[in-house]
Amino acid sequence: MSGLSSGAWLQTIAALVWIPQAALLALVVDGIARGEGAAAAVLPAFGIVALGALRTAVDAVGSRRLFRAARASLTGLRRDAVASLAARSPLDAGRPASGAAAAAVCEQAEAVLPYLLRYRAARLRVTVVPPVLLLAVLTQSWLAALILLVAAPLIPLFMALIGLRAKVASEAQMLEIGSMNGLLLDRLRGLPTIRAYDAVDATARRLRAAAEALRTRSMAVLRIAFLSSAVLELFASLGVAMVAVYVGFHLLGTLGFGAWGGTMSLGAGLFVLLLAPAFFEPLRDLAAAWHDRAAGEAAQAALRDLAAPPELALPDALTAVPPMLASAAPGLMAKDLVFRYPGAARPIFNGFALQVAAGERVALLGASGAGKSTLLAVLAGLALPEAGTIHIGETPLTPDSAARLRCRIAWLGQNPALFAGSLRANILLGRRDLNAEAVRRILLPGLPMTRPVGEDGAGLSGGEALRLGLARAIVAPEATLILADEPTAHLDADTAADVIHALLAAAEGRTLVVATHDPVLAAHMDRVVQLS
Amino acid sequence: MRRFAPLRRVLGLFIAERGAAMALGAMLAALAILAGVALLGLSGWFITATALAGLVPAAALVFDVFMPGAGIRFLAILRTAARYGERVVAHDATLALLAGLRERLFRGHAVPGTARALAARPARLLFRLSSDVDALDAVYLRLVVPGAAAAVTALAVGGALAMLDAALGVAVALVLLATGFGLPLWLAGAAEQASRRRAAALEALRVRAVDLVAGQVALVMAGRLGAQADAMDAAEQRLAAAEDALHRLETLAGLGFGLTGAALLGGAALATAGLAEGGALSAPQAALVLLVALAALEPFAALRRGAIELGRSARAAQRLAPALDVIAPSRLPEPPLGLALRLAGLRYTPPGAAQPLFDGFDLDVAAGECVAVTGPSGAGKSSLLALLSGEAQPDAGTIAVLPHALLSQRVDLFHDTVRGNLLLARPDAEDAALWRALREAGLDGVVQALPRGLDTPLGEGGAGLSVGQQRRLALARLLLRQAPLLLLDEPTEALDAATAQGILTQIMAKRGEVAIFIIAHMRREAEWADRLIRLESGRVTGIWRRGEAGFAVALDALRPG
Repeated sequence: MSGLSSGAWLQTIAALVWIPQAALLALVVDGIARGEGAAAAVLPAFGIVALGALRTAVDAVGSRRLFRAARASLTGLRRDAVASLAARSPLDAGRPASGAAAAAVCEQAEAVLPYLLRYRAARLRVTVVPPVLLLAVLTQSWLAALILLVAAPLIPLFMALIGLRAKVASEAQMLEIGSMNGLLLDRLRGLPTIRAYDAVDATARRLRAAAEALRTRSMAVLRIAFLSSAVLELFASLGVAMVAVYVGFHLLGTLGFGAWGGTMSLGAGLFVLLLAPAFFEPLRDLAAAWHDRAAGEAAQAALRDLAAPPELALPDALTAVPPMLASAAPGLMAKDLVFRYPGAARPIFNGFALQVAAGERVALLGASGAGKSTLLAVLAGLALPEAGTIHIGETPLTPDSAARLRCRIAWLGQNPALFAGSLRANILLGRRDLNAEAVRRILLPGLPMTRPVGEDGAGLSGGEALRLGLARAIVAPEATLILADEPTAHLDADTAADVIHALLAAAEGRTLVVATHDPVLAAHMDRVVQLS
Repeated sequence: MRRFAPLRRVLGLFIAERGAAMALGAMLAALAILAGVALLGLSGWFITATALAGLVPAAALVFDVFMPGAGIRFLAILRTAARYGERVVAHDATLALLAGLRERLFRGHAVPGTARALAARPARLLFRLSSDVDALDAVYLRLVVPGAAAAVTALAVGGALAMLDAALGVAVALVLLATGFGLPLWLAGAAEQASRRRAAALEALRVRAVDLVAGQVALVMAGRLGAQADAMDAAEQRLAAAEDALHRLETLAGLGFGLTGAALLGGAALATAGLAEGGALSAPQAALVLLVALAALEPFAALRRGAIELGRSARAAQRLAPALDVIAPSRLPEPPLGLALRLAGLRYTPPGAAQPLFDGFDLDVAAGECVAVTGPSGAGKSSLLALLSGEAQPDAGTIAVLPHALLSQRVDLFHDTVRGNLLLARPDAEDAALWRALREAGLDGVVQALPRGLDTPLGEGGAGLSVGQQRRLALARLLLRQAPLLLLDEPTEALDAATAQGILTQIMAKRGEVAIFIIAHMRREAEWADRLIRLESGRVTGIWRRGEAGFAVALDALRPG
């Protein structure tokens, strides 16, 4: 049995231990009423403590077991999602944005735990505990059992209503509170403007007004949700009250029927009374955990979506390659390449061939949208072609060799991804045995190694960001084939000239292939290949 | 306990904001619990009393069934009504506290320097801020309400039982209060470390997830994607370990409550049996005591969640504490008549720099003058603007500046309507003035074509408009301000030539009427200036007036466009 179900069963069993405990409690009062001395209460009192300890211990063990299983399942879901995210080719159009992916893997995924811990366990208890308690009550009084039985079917009816309402309410509330944070963050991002317009006070009051409006709207929804759960509470309370009143009148002799022809003893009556609230307890737990379900199932679905096998895979994505020795600049040969985006009717290039000699500098020239970037990404092993072969040096690019070959490639994209941290950390990316100083001196002479870099390269100019991207690409001595994708796109003339200068410096002793539509850059190359 | 002290501050603020509603919510919660306890107690008493009366037919006839019966039904309804009231009042109070908290946090963050800190690590800081705010949100619902309700329950139960037997009442109240608050307090202290580890691991997981997806190409080309996935897995393992530790502690506290409850029930059984034997307690009273003891510890168990979160809430309170102080916005003094701005003897060291960037820097801009500042990156252009707009504080020297409007490089538009975005510049502006400003900015046609005109909502950062339209909307806002000084930071960066020309023409139409101070990278921005100033490493290395020989040469040195 899995930890999830064995844990939930243990908790269910713990709830049932209440039956003998309630019987002992009733026995004590019965004894007192019959004038038995304190000595007669010692054994039952001991039993009450022992059963209580047993109940709480079994519940604790079940809860721990359930938690461990639920937590392991969350770890598994996260791990699968991360593995699939990593193994998705950057060319895959279905690749989620970083913010959305992080939210699904981190914050949203947290909702899986309460769902597995509370909702699923409460659902099991609801199917087992009330029927068993009903049977226990039935042994004493069919009428008391009937009262509970009448109250109970009404509850699932309201449960459905509550479920709907609570779902709407909790979603609305999540949305509203989320948007309250969003509103605050949105205004904080634009603080310089707000301060410059002396609008701090006005904005603060506007935030307050928006929050108050959200509050009014949320409360309108919440009132209904609370009302429906109040109905459930009312039925539970009235169920207990009716059992108590019936048992009272029965014992008084006013309502002589309902106990299988006889009259219940005080002990039996109390026993029935004590079981009544426990009969409704699982239903209340389930109602309380109801809104965990929608959030938990949505979180599980989001994680499973992320974990779905990618339409376009990044070959050999997670393989770590041991550092290699410096190697001479390789040549590059591509033959009969065919590449098609998933679901596209026509291939983006078909039968493409390219031969670049070792140490050569080649421009792939073509208009925007001619497939230059795609081609370069395929050459870099970021997605596998549908057909055709690619050789880097002597080695063919295959799913098994992709990771090793990528190490020989220095890749420069249009907007290098930069991470919050120091300049050094951004050059090395954790490759501790590399020498960052040499490339910094060539490419970033003006910036110290300790220069902090913000998220997305905040604090660096466009030219500096590209130079840093280049430094990072060529810092490994074996990275001797530079593939640069439109390095001067969107740059002004000065910065573009600066980046071209840096690129040529980096290409010293390396093979260079640039995809570009910039004639100035192309003019610096040994050869231009025109793409159609 | 000292580490939870920052929370007192937040609670004080909450009470000042919505104290009455908070108290009402807690009282209703207590009433709901007490009604539930009384319902069980009275039912037990009633059944036992009827059973005894039923044994004697004469007694059964005169037994007053009406009062207890009605009481039981009343308590059942009271419990439901009080629970409903509590939920409505407490949630309403919570939402009101949220509204107040967010307003206060915004005001607290609106101090110089915050914007720059946010710009460097927006994702991380904003994530932390919103999770801190959430942690404070939970303080009232998870700590104050159950804590107050449980305390009232313990005192009321103790008091009621003391009327039957003084020692019994005192003993029950003491056990309830000692374990009821002792266990959560122990839990709060014990969970502190793990809760800290949990927060750190969650943040690490999040940052690494963003880096993995956003930096996938860089990482995979460096052969580090696997290492990044492993790093995420390590963060997840730490998160799982911390959450497991927290759950273990919570379960232990639950075990403590369960054992105490069992002991309390067993003890009450023995005590009532003893008291009944001595004649101090009747059998119905004994039933009442037992059933009350059964239910009285339950409300304390609800404190466990709040106790687990106490450390997190306290840390959030501590981190947010500086932002909770409302500082009156300081205003820069105005320059002497005839000047738009004056910088004199300015010394300024940027955060983290060893050497001052400006030392003894002087600059005057006359009213109505148009001055363009150029220079390589790192020359201090942005710092100059930050100083003028009050974002940065000088080490020494004076800054005097006329009321001004700012057009920053990155346009700051807000998740608000077009009207709301414009009104930021002049809250009392009427629609006619808004349309005039939009016309001047060349955006009136676009806004007229929008389905809801001025009331069209924009997304975060002005989403829904094109980049050029966003810039024009910011320009309309700038013009609406009617300030005697315009501060412009590379206002046409990344705009195509036609859009840039249109915007510059509109701004420069005000030349002579208002002073314009423009940080310029491109020729098109600088060519309107009366005076060109070249800045290098915080020092002025050249000044050219329009018509002087060097002016055209200096312009030609700029980026074309």
